[in-house]
Amino acid sequence: MKKIIAMLLLAALLLTGVSGAFAEGKTIVYWTMWESTEPQGKVLKEAAQAYEAETGNKVDLQFKGRTGMREGLQPALDAGTIIDIFDEDMDRVNVSWIDYILDIEDLAKAANYEETANAGLIGAARQVAGGTLKSIPYQPFVFAFFYNADIFEEAGVEAPPATWAELLDACEKIKNAGYVPITSDDAYIMTNLGYHMARLIGEEGVRRVVDNGEWAEEPAVLEAAKAYADLAAKGYLSPTIGSSVWPTNQNGEFAMGESAIYLNGSWLPNEVKEMTGPDYNWGCFSYPAVEGGVHGPEAANFGSQVLAINKSSQVAPEAFDLIVKITKGEFDAKLSIESVGIPVDSTNIEWPAMLASAKDVMNQLSVRYSWAAGIENNVNMTPYIKQAFQQLCGGQITPEQFVDTLETASN
Amino acid sequence: MKQNRTMVVIFLTPALLLFFAIFVYPIARTVMMSLFSVENVTSSVSEWTFTGFKNYADLAQTSLFRKSMWNIFRIWAVGGLVVMSLALLFAVILNSGIRFKKFFRAVIYLPNIISAVALATMWLQYVYAPRWGFLTDFFSWLGLEDLAATQWTAAGNKFWALTFAYCFGMVGYHMLIFSSGIEKIPHEFYEASSIDGASKPRQFTNITLPLLKGVVKTNITMWTITSVGFFVWSQLFSTVTTDLDTITPMVYLYLQVFSTGNTVMEREAGLGAAVGVTLGLLVVLVFVLTNLLIREDEIEY
Repeated sequence: MKKIIAMLLLAALLLTGVSGAFAEGKTIVYWTMWESTEPQGKVLKEAAQAYEAETGNKVDLQFKGRTGMREGLQPALDAGTIIDIFDEDMDRVNVSWIDYILDIEDLAKAANYEETANAGLIGAARQVAGGTLKSIPYQPFVFAFFYNADIFEEAGVEAPPATWAELLDACEKIKNAGYVPITSDDAYIMTNLGYHMARLIGEEGVRRVVDNGEWAEEPAVLEAAKAYADLAAKGYLSPTIGSSVWPTNQNGEFAMGESAIYLNGSWLPNEVKEMTGPDYNWGCFSYPAVEGGVHGPEAANFGSQVLAINKSSQVAPEAFDLIVKITKGEFDAKLSIESVGIPVDSTNIEWPAMLASAKDVMNQLSVRYSWAAGIENNVNMTPYIKQAFQQLCGGQITPEQFVDTLETASN
Repeated sequence: MKQNRTMVVIFLTPALLLFFAIFVYPIARTVMMSLFSVENVTSSVSEWTFTGFKNYADLAQTSLFRKSMWNIFRIWAVGGLVVMSLALLFAVILNSGIRFKKFFRAVIYLPNIISAVALATMWLQYVYAPRWGFLTDFFSWLGLEDLAATQWTAAGNKFWALTFAYCFGMVGYHMLIFSSGIEKIPHEFYEASSIDGASKPRQFTNITLPLLKGVVKTNITMWTITSVGFFVWSQLFSTVTTDLDTITPMVYLYLQVFSTGNTVMEREAGLGAAVGVTLGLLVVLVFVLTNLLIREDEIEY
């Protein structure tokens, strides 16, 4: 009996070895920032399975999450771990990890990739990588004011505000209709300040103030502070805007239809869809132009996640094919639908209904801001700016005190 | 004898190698890194640029880092006083012969077995939330409208909201350590002092406390280590961007080393290493001071 079992085991071992030796497929290791439970993670898994079925190659898809990528990717690459594809934010991949990624201009040209790609995003990816294509954008986003269109209609606001004066007018009507006009949480509140200052002096100006500590020297700081102090004084800001820890107001008063406007990314409808339900009437408008400013609705923070190939990868062409599978046709459309996201394949012209209004905003953009228009550019100042701005919006300090606080903190 | 020496070498070598690889090498590398400008924790030594004590000087001049040190000092001192007092009080009560001792001990220890994420969410969403939180409802019910209107997570309040929530969960852990010490004190001491007419408070000050010096030192050291490593609760109370009320040296280190915020920033692992070395020295300092201030007696439990 023992002999028979031993022979069977030996036969099984030999068969496994033989089949392995004759296997033709290659293995592509893909580290992703998504979790397996997220809509994006589920679609990526489906795309990988479809790719495997078509090519005979194997995809080792590993869900690392945002923290796992930011903490673990570079040490793993330095340690020689085989990782063929990875994804993350466009700036992070093309700035922090630029030394590890492959120039894919030739692969993209051979596949005629750009024919059906989003030209603006490809251009942004090239720009941030120093003029050459080193990553493929997917899951694009735009950062703008999202609003509850039913509240706008009930309050009699006929068109989304394009100027600051129109925003004030809309807020007054919304307040009179019994709603909180504008809300935010601690995670995003600084974007309001960044956008307002960038409208006045552009992102370069914002970065100059933040990096060099020109809070008192730059008049736009006081002007932006006065604009938000005015919103607070008129009761246009949520009473809890100065204390709300994300996602309290996002999931609370905004998703529940008690407040109307929230400056956030186009991922917002996806994040709150379980609370808003399918009937929520979404609207979107670009941060309004301010008097005497340099930018208007044509400027915003937009970007995407990107997929990049490790320059040490032994399977770069196969990895690029997988990227094409994910970012074109069926799976790009599926990613868009399942994650309530924006498609990147220009032949996928249908956007999810919840993001239809964001399409108009995206289409009018010609100037790209980085995150929060640079207001979070100085890690040693960000907490000071956040606290002072929360206090300003909460009505606890005056615009002059806001400027003085930040001037002192920066010295 | 020769054989024995060989056996000693054979058995000790793996342990020593592991000790050097897992403890000594990372510590030595971190100390070295703190004297260099290093972009990433895994950057090769050839990419390091020697800067001497510049990282330490930069830290000393950075107001945000000083603020983070002030925050952990307050957590350590104020939180420590409250946690140690309550832990000792509960430990004494539990060992005074009350009924349902095991039940109460389990209840007080319970927060330690719940994930910090769940606990922080509970505090933020069900206790401190300005509109439907427990505190708002409770003070409204008492008719104290001013207190009910308090925004517990607003700037200035958030630090104390965070400290209170953290301490709530830590009492049970230190209570267990105190309790294990008290249980070892022979009952005869208390019986003899009772016969001599000593009251319960007198027994506490003259018997329990003096015999718990070793346990007090252990608790202070443990509390110092957890305070210095204060990170998770801070992250949970300011989920995406840190703020002045929640910044701690570990959070500052994390931001410098991994650039995990919304904006992609330059990373500075050398500066992060300097933070790590500073914190390590801080723990050693407190340990030494504790040993100097709390002298060991012949009899301790």
